[in-house]
Amino acid sequence: MGRKYLALFRSAWMLSLEYRAEGVVWMMTNLMSIIMLVVWLSISHGGPVGGFSSGDFVAYYMVGLIVRQVTGVWASWGLSDDIREGALSPQLVRPIHPIHRHVAANWAEHVMRLTMLLPIVAVVLIITPDARLYLTPISIAAFMLSLLGAWLVSFLSDYAIGILSFWTSQATAFTQAMQGLKVVFSGILAPLQMFPAAMQGALNWLPFRYMLAFCNEILLGQTRDERLLFGLAVQWAWVLFFFILVRILWKLGARSYGAVGA
Amino acid sequence: MPFAFFISMAYQIEVTHLSKHYQVHEKEPGLMGSLRSFVARKYRAVKAVDDVSFNIGQGEMVGFLGPNGAGKTTTLKVLAGLLYPTSGKATVLGFTPNKRENAYLKQFTLVMGQKQQLMWDLPAQETFLVNQAIYEIPRAQYDATIKELDDLLELGPIMKKQVRKLSLGERMKCELAAALLHRPRVLFLDEPTIGLDVTMQARIREFIAEYNRRYGATVMLTSHYMADVTALCDRIIVIDKGRLFYDGNFRALIERVAPYKIIKLQLAQPTTAEALAQFGQVESCNGLTAVLHVPRATATESAARLLSQVKVEDVTFEEPPVEDIIREVFAGIGKDEARGARREARGAR
Repeated sequence: MGRKYLALFRSAWMLSLEYRAEGVVWMMTNLMSIIMLVVWLSISHGGPVGGFSSGDFVAYYMVGLIVRQVTGVWASWGLSDDIREGALSPQLVRPIHPIHRHVAANWAEHVMRLTMLLPIVAVVLIITPDARLYLTPISIAAFMLSLLGAWLVSFLSDYAIGILSFWTSQATAFTQAMQGLKVVFSGILAPLQMFPAAMQGALNWLPFRYMLAFCNEILLGQTRDERLLFGLAVQWAWVLFFFILVRILWKLGARSYGAVGA
Repeated sequence: MPFAFFISMAYQIEVTHLSKHYQVHEKEPGLMGSLRSFVARKYRAVKAVDDVSFNIGQGEMVGFLGPNGAGKTTTLKVLAGLLYPTSGKATVLGFTPNKRENAYLKQFTLVMGQKQQLMWDLPAQETFLVNQAIYEIPRAQYDATIKELDDLLELGPIMKKQVRKLSLGERMKCELAAALLHRPRVLFLDEPTIGLDVTMQARIREFIAEYNRRYGATVMLTSHYMADVTALCDRIIVIDKGRLFYDGNFRALIERVAPYKIIKLQLAQPTTAEALAQFGQVESCNGLTAVLHVPRATATESAARLLSQVKVEDVTFEEPPVEDIIREVFAGIGKDEARGARREARGAR
């Protein structure tokens, strides 16, 4: 399996190099986070807001850029196209599940963007004295684990939506809805601590927090000990949920694809 | 019991009373139609494949003929595991195709003329490398196969060009190469030469024939181009509206349906149809050109007599066009069906 992934990753990497122009689009999406940061910086000039000092906001959005990059997923678009155009058929006769090509493509893109992003984020964090990260062996390990979990929740939920294309041509409408919810409720727009307390309670159970904000909070030291363990448990429960959902939906979808005529 | 087992092992592809029906949702045109279908959907059952049975042995090259929508592609897709049979059974190499076990997927290939597996923005070579990993082809075997495919298909430098920059013919060659890297034992080819020019079609046909010769691979081929089937397949299966109408030797079918040869004459001086009638059935005679049909059995004899007695500038001998033969088959089927329907109607009274 490893060799298969190596080959898939290699060709995905080459494709990423081909699509250089998309880098401009990518920079635009990150621009929104930068703009929000600037807004919060001006608000927090007079003093901390919701427990966040100016330095905290910088740290939050910088770490957020990294996490947002890792949890960026788009497989449902390709899957939806493939199903509707019948291009899924050649993929189904090969001895590898179609999902792996999307995983490899997703990670090739992440590696490419992160190599550009990490130095920038590091520099910004270093030159901003108030932007402090909470770095202990535990927090770092927990952050990596939560980052993997965040990717899995994002990817699998997106893929599950893509699988709906077996039954509806409007699946990408759901993708966009999901994207909208994600921007607000996963903390891309603003830290979740800015939401009313009652809402925060609900967000602790929904998958969105675990796609971004949770990771940020770990590295900022805002979530530790029992709350950290609780968060990891909920996150990975969601991972398991989406994993099972994808498996079930795929089985049903492949069967339906075979029934209707591909 | 053991004897029966031995018999079944002789066939690589076994299709028994295979049927594939599916529900197509019908919508009337216009706004009222849309609203009506929103409230109460109407479905129509389509019998894409209807009680089809055949067996194919190892190394056979079988052509699937039939008009559009006959059920050819559907049958291939069932055998490739993409579609589930509604009823009946299909096994290939002992596997149930729709289980899509990796062990089975590694042993066959499906080439669809209109669908491609090559990555569009990268050279074909990159797709080959991905396939090598996916099909777990050992390095030595991969190198050897690439070299053979390169020789047979004359790939050369086109392997290294981006696929989107290749011509249709070049792309098809690379598609075939990518599909055969893992040296499948069974080939399902759905319209492999569609859209290609005559030279390229001939080249692809030679390649498939050579592949079958070298590796003893079993080939099932659907095509609109009769030349594909004539050139490659000894056995044809004729299918229409999902039903199987003929399964047997191609030459035998031609003999039965069109037991004549065509002689086209370019005359040195004008002559009459009556004058030519002694040599065969005169199809047309205008001025200096004439076309005759002569019985197969006596074709050469008739031709010799003709040429000794009639002055000609040019003469060609042709097989009846396969399209006509197939039309005859279906016309014959149509007549049989009509006769059967009349018989039934009479019986009902």
